Amino acid sequence: MIKTRTWIFITAVCAALLAVLSAALLSSRGEGTVVEILQDGTVIEEIDLSRVTSRYSFTVTWGGKEPGSNTILVQPGAICVSDADCPDRICVSQGWLTNQAAPVVCMPHRLIIRLKSPSGVDAVSQ
Amino acid sequence: MKRYILFLLAALISLSGCSTLSSGDGESAEFFAMDTVMTVRVWGAAEGTAASMQALARDAEVRLSATDPGSEISHLNANGSGVVSEETALLLRKALELCADTDGSLDISVYPIVKSWGFTTGEHRVPPDGELSVLLENVDYTRIQLDGNTVTLAPGMEIDLGSVAKGRTGDMMADALRQAGVMSALLDLGGNIQTVGSRPDGSPWRIAIKDPGGSGTLGVLETSDAAVVTSGGYERYFTGDDGTVYWHIMDPSTGSPARSGLISVTVTAGDGMLCDAMSTALFVMGKEKAVDYWRSRGDFDMILVTADSEVFYTAPLMERFTPGAVDKYTYRVIDDD
Repeated sequence: MIKTRTWIFITAVCAALLAVLSAALLSSRGEGTVVEILQDGTVIEEIDLSRVTSRYSFTVTWGGKEPGSNTILVQPGAICVSDADCPDRICVSQGWLTNQAAPVVCMPHRLIIRLKSPSGVDAVSQ
Repeated sequence: MKRYILFLLAALISLSGCSTLSSGDGESAEFFAMDTVMTVRVWGAAEGTAASMQALARDAEVRLSATDPGSEISHLNANGSGVVSEETALLLRKALELCADTDGSLDISVYPIVKSWGFTTGEHRVPPDGELSVLLENVDYTRIQLDGNTVTLAPGMEIDLGSVAKGRTGDMMADALRQAGVMSALLDLGGNIQTVGSRPDGSPWRIAIKDPGGSGTLGVLETSDAAVVTSGGYERYFTGDDGTVYWHIMDPSTGSPARSGLISVTVTAGDGMLCDAMSTALFVMGKEKAVDYWRSRGDFDMILVTADSEVFYTAPLMERFTPGAVDKYTYRVIDDD
């Protein structure tokens, strides 16, 4: 027969563990890991790179003045444009979006992939 | 009594969280203009202020874009002469002054060369020497005549204000915001940074400078009420069949990408147009000439990055610039004597 006091102890330990766990989860969503994908100034997708467990890709299409599409590749902690049919393909040559770096931009397709909150700075001169 | 009611109202509004005025994030707008992405963040302004900046950028684009056949500049290039608007004439006058002051390191008539390398269309190529020498004959800003609002170009000449247009537009946006009483705003015109006042909490803005050799940052510059503009070979470039990297910053004296030993130049000053022009001109000059030029002018500060991994920054920045990539670069201070 387990005493009431022991139950209280177990409950307290469980609560403490839960608190630590949720704090860890919350902080992993912190600065520098959440990226947003914008099309013509509107956020169309938000991805927390710290929560990505496997590699995947998807295609974003643009029907504006210079129509076309970009293939976005996502893997744990990283994101890039892996393929595009724009003329200059600057977005592809930019490679992986990294922590403090500049956003990945495809001008013809009005596409921006950027970190939601660059840590500690207000803007990047480039 | 009235004051208390106002105070109560203000408190209520801020509690309800629906006011742009009291929002900690300020108001922001993002748009595509002048061939780039612009982000405007404004604190303590009337609703819609950030978005209204788009009209200024559009106006500048319509007047100045060399690739838009309807612009004032395109008309000039097509007809060889013409009458331009007051604002375009002013910009042209300031640009020509800077061309002269930098002894042609900045030259707004280099446009046919930029076109020839394919940087205006993205269809890059290495032009044959013969083609470049023919085109170079018409690269000479001294043969641009500006009489009031009437512009006359030498035959075969084409101009482009791309090296100053974004800087000037940033200045105009900042002026408009200051006139509207805005104390705090951050404008990012495709990597050209223009600040109004300081952060909403009164501390200086923290602007990271891109590392030209990687994805990180070179350091952080603290600034208030000033522009920060960087030109780098990494911005637009292509790799030729022989493996050589060709970038978009042209040396007006050779007609080829500037190989001055610099790979990135950051300029900061109150005048955004000066920063824009200088970041290109100093890149073309190279370190030695850039240092002499800075000592002769003294109305801007700069951060130069050389191909052999040295970073030089001017003495007045010592209190405001925090080097960030010390394992990769050697940082040195440029004194003013």
